[in-house]
Amino acid sequence: MFYRQRRDAEAQVSHDSVPLALPLLPLAAGTSEVTTLYRELRKPLLRYLVCLGLTSDEAQDVVQDAFLNLQRHLASHGAQENIRGWLFRVAHNQARNRQTSYHRRFGEPLVGELDFLADEATPEQRLLEKEKFRRLAAGIRALTESERECLLLRAGGLRYREIGDVVGLPTSTVGDTVERAIRKLAEKCNV
Amino acid sequence: MCNVQGKLAAWLDGELPANEAAEVAQHLERCEECRGRAAAYKQVTETFTAYCDAVMQSKTQPRVPRWVPVLAAAIVFAGVLLLVFPRMRIKPPPVLTPTIADAYVPAALPAAAAPDAAPRKAVHKRHVAARTAQKQAAQWQPTESAVQIAIPADAMFAPGAAPKGMNFIAELSIAPDGSVKQVRLRQ
Repeated sequence: MFYRQRRDAEAQVSHDSVPLALPLLPLAAGTSEVTTLYRELRKPLLRYLVCLGLTSDEAQDVVQDAFLNLQRHLASHGAQENIRGWLFRVAHNQARNRQTSYHRRFGEPLVGELDFLADEATPEQRLLEKEKFRRLAAGIRALTESERECLLLRAGGLRYREIGDVVGLPTSTVGDTVERAIRKLAEKCNV
Repeated sequence: MCNVQGKLAAWLDGELPANEAAEVAQHLERCEECRGRAAAYKQVTETFTAYCDAVMQSKTQPRVPRWVPVLAAAIVFAGVLLLVFPRMRIKPPPVLTPTIADAYVPAALPAAAAPDAAPRKAVHKRHVAARTAQKQAAQWQPTESAVQIAIPADAMFAPGAAPKGMNFIAELSIAPDGSVKQVRLRQ
């Protein structure tokens, strides 16, 4: 009930708005930067976490914690290089701690829940779209955990170097992993 | 297999150094297979991004149960009906004023109430006839005060001319001056 009320309240607020918790923290250097980063990265972070298999509530909690950590990090004059990668890494680690079976959950095809996506499309288009997503979901299930995470972070707009920081791989390895993952999806899913 | 095939995703993502990116671009101009592969990679990337967006939307947006619109439409329809017909009431059926015949006829038919040796069919017919008579009497509204007289059929017809136990009821409407205004004979 609490989560539903909170979600409804959040739905009424713009997704770009800053949560109340951040301004209530002691103002420190970089507060405006945190606000800017929150507006820019909240949605990609949420999408990454939800696609990893977290529920919406879990993902929002993780994002909130990640930005609170960022606020503390900047307040304690921590390193400010690659803040975007830093945020994703914090969220990624928290998601790993919370989620013990996200491999299985991410692989669940969600075709049945995507009815509202193409309301304006014709039934044939919706059917084709569903079929395409179904094949892609099957292909995603066949990927390794590392390949899946690299693709998700890439879809979140991270560069290969930033992806490497998040998952702990060299940049060249990230490139090879992304190439291999996309090739698998293209060959198996025929999308 | 072309040697640039392992670099296509990085080339699409703009992750290659400038010299390598130019090399891949030149190769794609003359290699149809790699060009098709690059197009497929691009399509996979777009589909993957769309899929991630769809997953996020389906998990984060509150979904309205399918029965909610139906219920809402029913409520609106009921509201419209109430507004259009605010004073419409269901009228109760008209109450028929009981006449003397209703209360009097069964008691005035001793022959019908008495045990009878006649066949069952005849008894049934009599009951039906009595009920019909009651209905007719209920519908008939005398204009003035009325008197009912039960007359055995034997008293009016020769013995054996009428079925045994048959009765007639004469209803006399009495005018205010005491004279008989109307006579109604029924079985």
